[in-house]
Amino acid sequence: MRVTIDSIGKSFPGVVALGGVSFEVHPGEIHALMGENGAGKSTLIKIVTGVYRPDRGRLLIDGAAANFASPRDAIAAGISAVHQERNLIPRFSVGENIMIENLPIRRGLVDYGEAHAQARRFLDMIDPSIDTRAEVRRLSVAQMQIVEIAKALSLEAGLLLLDEPTASITDHEAQALFAVLRRLRSEGKAIVFVSHKLEEVIALCDRVTVLRDGKVAAAGELIAAMSRSRIVSAMIGREERVAEIGPRTFARGTPALEVRGLATSLGHKDVSFTLRQGEILGLYGLVGSGRTELARALIGDARILAGEIRLKGAPISIADVSDAVRRHRIGYISEDRKNEGLILAHPIRANIAITIWPRLASRLGLLTRRLEERAATPLARKLDIRTPSLEQQVGKLSGGNQQKVSIAKWLAASVDVLIIDEPTVGIDIRTKTAIHELIAEITRAGVSVMLISSDMPEMITLADRILVMRDFALVGEIENERRYEPMSRRIMGFIHAGLEAGESQQEASHG
Amino acid sequence: MSLASDIELRSGRRAWLSEQSGAIGLAGIVIIFWIVFASWAPGFVSPFNLFAISRTLAIDIVIGFSTMVVLATGGMNLAIGAIGVCSVMLAGYLMQKLGVPYPLALTVALLLGALLGWANGVAIVRSGVNSFIITLASASLYTGGMLILSKAVIYNALPPAIAAFGRMRFGFVSPLLIVALAIGAALVVLFRFTALGREILAAGANARAAQLSGVPVSRAIIVAHTLSGLLAAAAGLMLLSRLGAAMPSIGEDWLLPSFLAPVLGGALLSGGSISVVGAMIGALLVTTIRSGLLIMQVGNFWLLLFLGMMLLLAVLLDRYRTVYAERRSLGRRA
Amino acid sequence: MLAVAIAIGFVILSLLSPAFLTEYNLYVMLRSFCVVLVVAFAQMLTLAVGQLNLAIGALGGLVAIAVGGMMEKLGFPISAAVGLGLLIGLGGGLANGLLTVRTGINGFIITLATASVFTGINLGVTESIPFYNLPGPFVAFGVGRFFAVPYLLIPPVLAALLLALFLARTAPGRYLLAVGGNAHAAELSGIPRDRIIVLAHALSGLLAAIGAILAEAQLGSAQPTIGADWLVMSFAAPIIGGAALTGGHISVAATALAVVLVVLIQNGMVLAKVDPYWVQFLLGALILAAVGLNRLRAVRVEAA
Repeated sequence: MRVTIDSIGKSFPGVVALGGVSFEVHPGEIHALMGENGAGKSTLIKIVTGVYRPDRGRLLIDGAAANFASPRDAIAAGISAVHQERNLIPRFSVGENIMIENLPIRRGLVDYGEAHAQARRFLDMIDPSIDTRAEVRRLSVAQMQIVEIAKALSLEAGLLLLDEPTASITDHEAQALFAVLRRLRSEGKAIVFVSHKLEEVIALCDRVTVLRDGKVAAAGELIAAMSRSRIVSAMIGREERVAEIGPRTFARGTPALEVRGLATSLGHKDVSFTLRQGEILGLYGLVGSGRTELARALIGDARILAGEIRLKGAPISIADVSDAVRRHRIGYISEDRKNEGLILAHPIRANIAITIWPRLASRLGLLTRRLEERAATPLARKLDIRTPSLEQQVGKLSGGNQQKVSIAKWLAASVDVLIIDEPTVGIDIRTKTAIHELIAEITRAGVSVMLISSDMPEMITLADRILVMRDFALVGEIENERRYEPMSRRIMGFIHAGLEAGESQQEASHG
Repeated sequence: MSLASDIELRSGRRAWLSEQSGAIGLAGIVIIFWIVFASWAPGFVSPFNLFAISRTLAIDIVIGFSTMVVLATGGMNLAIGAIGVCSVMLAGYLMQKLGVPYPLALTVALLLGALLGWANGVAIVRSGVNSFIITLASASLYTGGMLILSKAVIYNALPPAIAAFGRMRFGFVSPLLIVALAIGAALVVLFRFTALGREILAAGANARAAQLSGVPVSRAIIVAHTLSGLLAAAAGLMLLSRLGAAMPSIGEDWLLPSFLAPVLGGALLSGGSISVVGAMIGALLVTTIRSGLLIMQVGNFWLLLFLGMMLLLAVLLDRYRTVYAERRSLGRRA
Repeated sequence: MLAVAIAIGFVILSLLSPAFLTEYNLYVMLRSFCVVLVVAFAQMLTLAVGQLNLAIGALGGLVAIAVGGMMEKLGFPISAAVGLGLLIGLGGGLANGLLTVRTGINGFIITLATASVFTGINLGVTESIPFYNLPGPFVAFGVGRFFAVPYLLIPPVLAALLLALFLARTAPGRYLLAVGGNAHAAELSGIPRDRIIVLAHALSGLLAAIGAILAEAQLGSAQPTIGADWLVMSFAAPIIGGAALTGGHISVAATALAVVLVVLIQNGMVLAKVDPYWVQFLLGALILAAVGLNRLRAVRVEAA
């Protein structure tokens, strides 16, 4: 199957996800699709699989225009995909999940014997140890990922799209997957492979397309002709590289937040670190390593089982989030602005003032719009939130301005410690720099920041020190020298050392 | 500075107008109904009928408020009728059987309403189960309990002051309506000008974001349900005053009007957005249609059909209005 | 666990009351089981796709008087009247489903509104006057029995078997549960989500109609109030049977067992001459207990 993506564009409120993307996937090739977080890969995959409809441009299948109204149409056209998020029915069996698009029917009834037999065939290609009759909700994350892959294979589609298929499986299983993909390639199938692991891409793929900021940075280049560093620079875009925020003169201040031997109900074991006043402490790790969960524990959103938290030297106990925010002045900015960060339907004024409502209220207990305005206006000015009025609904702002509102509300609350999770996800490159400068500036005013980010350049630009987390434990601490190459190599070193150890462990438990 | 604040003020005023556009449109519909009814059935605007309308309206408004305060949190309360009748029967029992003076009896009855609402709120927060199921079950529990304890008797030998208040009239307005308006004013203050009210709305608009901003969301939900119980009790006692007797059948038919008033008035079922004034006008529309059909002798039988169609039309219109508004704002950006 | 509770209840009741195990009492119990079972199934199907249906009772009432009216006033043969009644139920459910899916409005408010419309038509047409003169064979079916087994039990049992088969072994049935289990995943797997939700509502309407016709045969007359008290019951059985309220997890057998339990309690109270109001009280308590138990189990699973 030949798939032509012809100047496809897609916008969401406040952000242009794809701005006219064109490239072609040939039959009998494995085509890598690369780019940093938020570059538009997943959006593109969702358009090809009929989840989203493009605002502009066309999708051609073997030269004929395809207009998918739903995933159903895409499947009928011979396209199957492994999406990044989990897409299984928890209470259905493995076999039924794999075959759901195509349940074998005999005399009007589902033939489960046949369904499990067929599912077995696809599952065996990757991992023969999973029972097709087990309920999906009882599987481990890695097993679910393998079921997803088997499900995509079961359609025997002409085009197979895989979005980070190897994110949570072992190297052994990944190799099995690659063998299957190579065989499908030799059968003339077209395959699109998305991964952030460069080694994988170089070993497996024939050509590569790189997306950056919703645009094509490299279209269908031969992998053999691309060096590792050329792919990376296409992804990051040297010339548009995040501006340096200048040398940070940061005095080794007193400890603002000390954590000793922390264990949580979410699975952290023996986490210890110190965040100093005015410092930006980076917390790096792969998705699922427990970074966001650590933040949740620190703001009282998860049970703490053991260990000690000290704030400015005094031990504290955090009852709930409200206690963390209002009493201890610890704030948290979620990466999920829409669901966890802001109240999109409410005006900017209310979103900034929400953290201090009880404090704002007058002696009679009255909280007027004017009092809120008085608190919000100087912050909106200081942070340069671009809006005609503070009464504007936050949902109508751009991603960058929304993030400024998120920061403003914690400045309003005059927090001492602010945990920021993925501050620039879904924010365009120019605004990104402004957000970075803003974060640096609030630390100069005395706020201590814990920065969680999967964006390596961002981490190296901003953080003073970097902690590396893996499997819910801290495995390394590095003083940031702000030189990209050596720093990223050292950070990935900590993570990979762990991955290999983790894999051999997993295999041992398999056997 | 002065220029900036002027701009803010002006856009603030415009925002207020657009916020009220739903209520204004609704008021227009009410006026049209009044003109139609008044011209077809002159009895509709007779002082007697106006008085009757003002009494029914007062109760419809408070029933609507009772649902509205939980809609603010994105929940619902199906136990409003049950709480209302429990309070009424307790008040009746205290006054008739125990001879408790009526101010005390009414206070205790209001407290019972608040308590039953509080129990709903606690059960919802603790179990994490949605409010629909919890209040469906508690409605059955409360009504069953009330019937077991009261043996479904009617208390109709109440202190004369109760019925006298229901019959009292200022011109053609019942004092019950003044009570309802006072409650409305208090709710406006709560939801516009207090941290607690704002917290309830924030919890309804986006519970997770509110929680992560330090808002005690569980407390907000419990407070809203307690308030809902209190208002249901108030509506019950107002009805007690109108009827002059405590009857175990009170509250059976509250479900539909309790949702009609706030939903017609523009409250979002998903939470976080309510309009006190809108709910009052919504209740007025319901009362108007009920009274008009009665006067035109269409019969009570067709009333439900009208109200059901009304609710459908209202939600459909609202749906298309938001879709249209979204499309327009997206189009402007692109 | 439900089965154990039922067995215990059965033994206690037969020990305490000599009237319990008589053929007639068993017949009475089985008879009251019929309508409730079908009504519970009607709600169960909407719960399965993560929806709810407040209009079951109202639609049932409308179907009951329509069937009664067609037989008594229009002189339709029984089969035609029943057939048309089932079609009305299907149509009403279809309307609920289409309105919910097309507008994207919360199913609660849609079915609250349509419930009011159905009841309004019912009362407007009948002015609350029942149809008493139903055809002889229809009424005879309602009282007929084979020893303790009422003929009335045949349609609900058939419905239960077909429903179980539908949900376990047919593609639309599996899709229905898939949509309830994870709507987004189902959609990505090419399952037409909207159509499945409409299907669930339509079948719910059909079952409500079956319940109404059974109630009519049981009473021997077409009462406009049929269905008025179905709401709590319709939710109680699937919930006590363990239907997850978020959809996707329902069980025909567990729902049926829950209905048996409730009917048993009702019957026990009648035999013990307890205030009938206790039934309502206990129904509420049972739902809350079931919800609490579910919660407890979830917490224990989390902790493990």
